[in-house]
This record gives sequence, structure tokens and C-alpha cells, in this order.
Amino acid sequence: MQRALIGSILLAVILGFFGVFMVPRKLSFMADGIAHASLFGIAVGLLVGGMPLLWAIGLSLILGTLLAKISDNESIPMDAVIGICLVGGMSGALITMTFIPGYKPELFSYLFGSILSIEWNDIYILSALTAVTLILFKVQWRTLVITTIHNDLSKVLGLKANAAKYFLFIGTSIALIGGVKLLGVILISALLVIPYSSASLIGKSLRSCVILTQIIAVAGTITGIFISYIFDFPTGPAIGLLLVAIYLLAFTYSKIRSQPIWKSNHTPLD
Amino acid sequence: MNFELSNSQANIIECEEITVVRDNKEILCAASCCVPRNSLTFLVGENGTGKTTLVQTMLGILPQREGKISVHPLNREKVNIGYVPQNIEFPKQLQLTVAEYLRYVSNLDKESIHQSLETVDFPLSHLSKTINQLSGGQRQKLLLAAELARKPDILFLDEPLSNVDDTGERHILDVILEIKNKGVTIILITHDWQMVSAHADHVICLNKNFLCEQGTSCICKNSLSKVNIKQIQKITPDPLNTHTGYCYIENV
Repeated sequence: MQRALIGSILLAVILGFFGVFMVPRKLSFMADGIAHASLFGIAVGLLVGGMPLLWAIGLSLILGTLLAKISDNESIPMDAVIGICLVGGMSGALITMTFIPGYKPELFSYLFGSILSIEWNDIYILSALTAVTLILFKVQWRTLVITTIHNDLSKVLGLKANAAKYFLFIGTSIALIGGVKLLGVILISALLVIPYSSASLIGKSLRSCVILTQIIAVAGTITGIFISYIFDFPTGPAIGLLLVAIYLLAFTYSKIRSQPIWKSNHTPLD
Repeated sequence: MNFELSNSQANIIECEEITVVRDNKEILCAASCCVPRNSLTFLVGENGTGKTTLVQTMLGILPQREGKISVHPLNREKVNIGYVPQNIEFPKQLQLTVAEYLRYVSNLDKESIHQSLETVDFPLSHLSKTINQLSGGQRQKLLLAAELARKPDILFLDEPLSNVDDTGERHILDVILEIKNKGVTIILITHDWQMVSAHADHVICLNKNFLCEQGTSCICKNSLSKVNIKQIQKITPDPLNTHTGYCYIENV
């Protein structure tokens, strides 16, 4: 339980930050694409007897780099490429699995997540990943914000737009694979997409949205784990459903707030 | 080509026979032009002639396949360049406030930012609003203010008066003329020939790119109404000089 809580908090923090930039760039679908495609790496790992997650991380590195490269090309639609990665990865995984004899319980643990199987070694790796990611966010934050608004502007300002882009794509891909053990291939996109999507409905500035994203991600994950423990639900779906409920609450709140009766004519001075 | 280049004292930017290819399509073909120092240079031409491409190439956003672009700072190693792109679509979900945008773009203190906002007549009461709450005209003013705060030597403006009402247009134009008088070189893309006739120090006119290959005639006049041509001809007897593919109207 202790390991599960630490691991989930670390993942919620990392994926929450990546969500701040992936959601406004309309790249939410990338989470599903990468996570599903990573199943191919996991299947290869299971077949050859190595560490399945290392194979998945290797594959996600390739896909993240490829998607970052393709994102420059305006004539190739990103959502179509992500869809192709998803189909290719899933098909490759299912074909590879036919070469592994017998029942494959590991596959299901990667599909739906198995947070209680997280070991201390996983926590150490996740901690290092979180530290590196947070440092890189600190360094790249301004560039990431400006490239999200207008890529050309960042080049005029002399910012390293390409470095920020590759960090975003490759970092997101690796973080997603890091979370496969927690929420599984099918539900990991929840931690990337839902916290920021909910926060952007409530927040009144980028700063407040980032803070709210972290609160929603961490609180949603911890509460989900406790709910799954108390009611004996599977952890991944418990966290996923709770985050969906938070999103619906945020959506309802934003609609109520936008009613004329709640609007104030006064705009505070900065 | 009867176009004088290599006058680094007079010109702040010189493009020599640049060819630019975008998505496998040749947008600019051996185009040459210059931007005089401290001038208000207008970049005109029909839609699809490559005005934005030329600006983006000058800015280093797009690479040129051939040719050379030189920037000549005066008594300094580096020039500070400002750029207001056409129609920035701010991602709605980013929830960026006006104050946050200015801080990220200009990276300057509050006082300099406030001064720039006042220059373009942008209400300070809007600082805590998200950019998506602003009107099109207010956004244009904000983009201009953010660039002014960075104190540029050269300022590129891609149709800065689109979405701006008449009063705002007049005000922004006054601001542009004022900063030009302070020594800033301005390159402005526009379709407003009345403004070009009234305020241009220098005009670069781009033709349809198919003429690049032919290089025999200039259809720049097609982008002008008869009235506008007359207005320009009042100032100079031979305003339209034909070049290979591109037409330059100098010293209007």
C-alpha cells in the first residue's frame, strides 16, 4: 500500500505536468496511441524473456521521437499518425502473443494495471524520472508555453523550440510507459488528460490551472487507491472513474459560473 | 536586375536572390530586396504571393534553399527583432492571462510591460483576463505591446490591423509611426493601399510566383486598384519597376 501510494503520487505529478501542454495542443489522443503501441514492446519482452517494460520504453522512445518529427509536417495529420501507431502496436502485440505458449496473465496486468505489484525498485526509478522531469520542466517552461501559443514566436525570441518539443513528446511517452504498471495500458491516459482538462474549466490563469492540475491528479489518485482498497475494486478503474467524476463536477461548476447571475462587472486590477 | 545591394549603412536587411521552398512548392524564386534602415517598409502583393514566407525567411523561421540574407546592425553585434504574426489562435484550454502572456514573451519587469500597454492604449484593467476573453482588436494591441516591451530594432508586423476597428486602427498606426520615428525599422504586411500610399518609405511588392519562372513581366498592378496606382504615381512618375519575378517600388 505504501509503495502504491508513493508510486501513484509520483506518476500523477509527472503526467499532470505533461498534460498542461499536451491537452491545449490537442494531443490527448497521443496518450492512448503510445500506451497501446507499447503493448507491442511488452509482448516482445515477454516473448524473449527480458524486462517487458524496458522493451516498451525503447519502443515509446522511438515513437515519441517519430511523432515529434512528424509534428513539424503540416501535411501529415497527427491524429491519423497516432491512430496508425495504436493499430500497429496493438496488432503487433497480439500477433507476438500467439508465439508465447500457455496462459498469459502478465498481459492482463499490463492491460488493466496492477498497482499493488509495484516494488521498491520501481519507486526508485520513478523518483529519478520525476526529479529529472521536474528539472527539465523548470528549464523549458517558458519555451513550452510560448511554443504552445505560436511556434514561430519562440524561434524569433531565440528559444530552443525543438529541444522543448522533443522533451515534451519523448518525456510524455516515457512517463506513460512508467504508468502502465499503475493504471494499465487502457487507463493510463486518464492521468495525462483528465486533471488538466478539469483544471482548465475551473482555473482563471495558467498558474492556477497548473496548481489545480496537481491537486486533482494527486488527490484523485490517492482517493482512488483508498476506494479500491475499501470496496475491493480494481485500482486502475477506481482512479479512472473518480477522475471522470471530478471532470464532470468541474464541467458543471464552469457552466454554473458562466451564468449571467454569477458574473461580475468588476475586473480586478493586477 | 537594377537593384542596388550591399549598402549596409543604408539598409538594415538585404536579401540576395533567395529561393524558398515550402511543402515541396517553390514560394520564392531568386527574390532580392532590401529594407532601408529606420524605414516603414510595406510588403504588398496578392494572396499567395509569399509575403508571409518572405518575412518568415528574413526572421530565420524558414530556411532559404539558395541566396543570402544579411542583417546589418549599426554599432552593435546583434539586432533585437520583434514579430507580430498574423492571427495567433491562442489555445483556449491554456487559460493564459494577459499578464502571464506579457511576462512569458517579454520576460521584463512589470513597469516596462505597463508602459508598453499604455503606449498601445490597452486597458490595464484587462491584465487578469484570459486572452480568450479579449476581442480581436484587443489581442492585436496585446501582441504589439508584448513586442514593443522588448524594445526591438526591427519590427515585423503581419497584417497588424486585421480585426481592429477604425479607431483602433488609427491609434495603432499612430503608434507604428511613433516608434518608427524613434528609430525602429518596421516591415509591415498589408492589403491596405491607402495606408501604403500615405505612409510608405519603401514598398516591396510580390507577384504571383509563377512569374518567377517566366521573369518577363510584372503583374503587381493587378493587386492595386486604379485609384491606388494614381495615388502612387502622383508621388513618383515610374513607381513600378519590373524585376525578374518581383516588383519593387522604391522611395515612394
